[in-house]
Amino acid sequence: MSSTETLARPVVTPAATPARRRRRRHPWVTGVVLSVGALATAFPFAWMIVSALKPRRESMAYPPHLLPQQLTLQYFTQLVQQLDFGRYLLNTLAVVLISMVGLLLMAMAGYGFAKFTFRGKEPIFFLVLTTMMIPVQVTMIPTYLILNGMGLTNTLVGIALPTLVSAFGVFLFRQFMTTIPTEVIEAARIDGAGEGRIFARIVLPMSRPILAVQVVLTFITGWNSFLWPLVIASDQNLYTLSVGIALLNQQVATNPSLQMAAASLMVVPVLVVFVVFQRHIVQGFALSGLK
Amino acid sequence: MANSSVRRALVPAGLAAVLALAACSSGGATTPQATSGGTGSSSAAPTGPLTVWVMGDATTKFDTLVAPFTQSTGIKVKTVAIPWDSVDQKMTTAVASGDGPDVVQVGLSKLRTYADTGALLTLDDATLAGHANLASSNFLDGVAGKATAVGGKVVSVPWIADTRVLFYRSDILSAAGISTPPATWDELRADAKKLAARGAGKYGYYIPQWDSPLPVEMTWDFGGDIIGADGKVNFDTPEFRKAVDLYTGLYADKSVPTAGDFDQTQGFVSGAAPMLVSGPYLAAAIKDAAPDLAGKWSVAQLPKGTTNTSLLAGSNMAVWAKTAHKDAALALLDYLSTPATQVKWFQLNGDLPTAKAALADSALTSDPLVSVYAAQLANAKIVPLVPNWDGATGKALLDALNSIALKGTDKETALTALFAATKGQSIG
Amino acid sequence: MRPRATPYVLVGPATLLLLAFGVLPILVAGAVSLTDLDAAGLGDVSRVRGVGLANYAELFGDAAFWQAMRNTAFYVVVGVPSVVVISLVIALLLNRSQSRFFRFLRSLYFLPAITGIVAIALVWGYLYNTQFGLVNYLLSLVGLGPVPWLSSPGLVKVSVALVAIWRGTGLNTVIFLAALQGVPKEYLEAAALDGASRLRTTWSVVLPLLRFAILFVTVTTVIAWLQFFDEAFVLTKGGPLGASTSISLFLFQQGFAGARFGYASAGSVVLFVVIAVITVLQLRGRRSDVEY
Repeated sequence: MSSTETLARPVVTPAATPARRRRRRHPWVTGVVLSVGALATAFPFAWMIVSALKPRRESMAYPPHLLPQQLTLQYFTQLVQQLDFGRYLLNTLAVVLISMVGLLLMAMAGYGFAKFTFRGKEPIFFLVLTTMMIPVQVTMIPTYLILNGMGLTNTLVGIALPTLVSAFGVFLFRQFMTTIPTEVIEAARIDGAGEGRIFARIVLPMSRPILAVQVVLTFITGWNSFLWPLVIASDQNLYTLSVGIALLNQQVATNPSLQMAAASLMVVPVLVVFVVFQRHIVQGFALSGLK
Repeated sequence: MANSSVRRALVPAGLAAVLALAACSSGGATTPQATSGGTGSSSAAPTGPLTVWVMGDATTKFDTLVAPFTQSTGIKVKTVAIPWDSVDQKMTTAVASGDGPDVVQVGLSKLRTYADTGALLTLDDATLAGHANLASSNFLDGVAGKATAVGGKVVSVPWIADTRVLFYRSDILSAAGISTPPATWDELRADAKKLAARGAGKYGYYIPQWDSPLPVEMTWDFGGDIIGADGKVNFDTPEFRKAVDLYTGLYADKSVPTAGDFDQTQGFVSGAAPMLVSGPYLAAAIKDAAPDLAGKWSVAQLPKGTTNTSLLAGSNMAVWAKTAHKDAALALLDYLSTPATQVKWFQLNGDLPTAKAALADSALTSDPLVSVYAAQLANAKIVPLVPNWDGATGKALLDALNSIALKGTDKETALTALFAATKGQSIG
Repeated sequence: MRPRATPYVLVGPATLLLLAFGVLPILVAGAVSLTDLDAAGLGDVSRVRGVGLANYAELFGDAAFWQAMRNTAFYVVVGVPSVVVISLVIALLLNRSQSRFFRFLRSLYFLPAITGIVAIALVWGYLYNTQFGLVNYLLSLVGLGPVPWLSSPGLVKVSVALVAIWRGTGLNTVIFLAALQGVPKEYLEAAALDGASRLRTTWSVVLPLLRFAILFVTVTTVIAWLQFFDEAFVLTKGGPLGASTSISLFLFQQGFAGARFGYASAGSVVLFVVIAVITVLQLRGRRSDVEY
């Protein structure tokens, strides 16, 4: 990974080179450099997948085999059989869906902080930032008692609520919505567009790259949600996948192959969501011409 | 980054913030919501339904186990499995809000902490009257009755047991001219030295650097204890010093790996560390990881100093103090303590029983490994129930021994620091 | 809609949720830090006593606390610049092309960010293992090692930080990529026509336009590293002998695992204050920079 810094140099063409050559279609040198880095970065991930497919005795072999000699799906089968898989999956998807509401709330707040001046804006924004600085250890019990007071224990909403909105998300939206030209919004107002319409039709579409990032992040948070499904649920029927998988861990020794299979299984949907949405991350909006 | 994984690994007991909040929620605490479905009927005849928290992935098996109980008593049992790693979070929030289960499985290492919260019902003789199976004489001495009382009060009954025995590679030992596994710690130290001489990357024994009970077991084996007559932690004894010499001596002999991340299963299977003290879980891992090693390894009871007392770990069952179904809960505990139920649980989930009659059952004694465990269980003790063993006393103990063994800290300096750090800790 | 109310409608819901689940707990922590709340007090409020500032006094006299503080400073000083620079460089390079192949590479760089912490513990624990690990095996092939990656008190911080850098880079790369979409192509073309080199264009055109993103990533990364926990917890439990224990891990071990909530709250408040001061300083510094 550290190689990227030094290797950035070859791509820099001397100033004297004709502009045409510089804008070649295939920046292959960059491609090679990035490929090497990407392979190094992805290696532990690949190792996880491979380990999940190896019989345990092969995982223990020394010297280690890079490629599995014998493939097995037994750990995946074991996972699906031992867990109430369908139910945990449905719960997880429900939590993810509820989390997406939080996405909208964060986008609204980001827009409010980025493009409006109002009384109390600075202190309110500071409060929002403050929540990001709180060591996470401190929040659990007060949060539980609040939810308990609201009668939301043992509900899916109660599970999703504590992590519905993150200061990180609000901050991220704000930073990027700041770069939306105010002229565009003003022009729409002059044309008589309502605030709701401006937000839905102008602000959100122009924030597409960051929305895509947030969708991925929200999905990851919801998908991996562990603490609240565990603590809030007094009924095992509300457990999510990550809680179900944690049940497989033994007190002292756990089968590493099984854990690898579980981890691989958890990653696949996140990966799919990322691949789908990353296209939007880079289909940026053309700011040009508006300035 | 600033997302969920931190939150989730970070665990337990978040901050208990409570104070003010606990007060305002305590109104809700008296209505036991967790026993959902419970219509609050707590008349003289035991009724349920009962909510039971069990650890790990045991819901289906536990449901199978208690099905006959429900059939004969009409008491429904709802099982909720709690991941081992997250039990603190679940317990702490339950204690803070008052909402808990009716019956809960408590790992012995957590017993002191949960008992201190007052969340567990005191099981005095009057409470247990009429439940013959719950009499302490039925259980292993190491966990029965007063052995797991906290501050003199019994708050749990034994459920499943776990212990530590000596694992050894018979093939490697005999190749080195060692015909029988070491019967004393002195022999073990000598054998380990011999085995370590096999070459680079080979050792004779393995000490897990996170295993705080090991030096305690050694102390017991030299005839001592780490708890004084006054119930206070006391490491300043000749027996403990012998344990320290043994522990650090194994390092000094270069008989054990110094890397803290040495893997015991891999070390044993590969033969790098052909002897170690570990639990039944290691046997399961070896069978799974190296089926072809069968016949080349075995287990034996711990080596002796003057005795060979081992660790007794495992879990007890407790009743939630605020349960609305006390009688039903006790009836369930009684059922779980019958030898037949305990044997069935061993067959279902592989956990060793705590009822002496169950341990003598042929279903267990027919397995040579299990009979070694069962014999060792009869001579095993729990880690003293001081507050926060893992985080305080146990940690100080490991820090002291490992700093002598790994960093070359002067023995007396390290021990003085240990005495100071653990002063005043008590089982009372 | 009434324009005066609009901003409040926009920021209201999110702010309320954050107040309830974010701000309130730190206030509670502040209160608890002045008490001896423990497991017993949790079950029975009448057993909780006020102890004034005793928890703070004990904390500042605790050698393990200061060791954790030093370790955390190490993590921040090593980790933050590495994560910010590496993810920025990767994003700039990835942004050179929108081809299918580059999109594929982008996914590879994101993989660590979505790998579960359990898998990270297992895989890296295995790679780093002194006796049976892959890294030392490869080193042994060229006659080096074995290196005690996680067993040496000196090396362990570096090993653990490396995993956290590996894991933290992907997300920030994606954030930078999104930000790069806001850089008008015309600027780049104009600069190219002027004969500016790519490095120069990047330095004097692209980076200034990314300053919001860089500020954002830096601020959030500093906060995340000040709360460093996961990697040390799963790989070493803070060992050997506390050499890799961060402040968050210290709080967890000393306080929460042992149910000493009062003491742990005091530590949380101290950590919160440290983070708040550092964050405010960063934002102050940048603000004057932006307004020039």
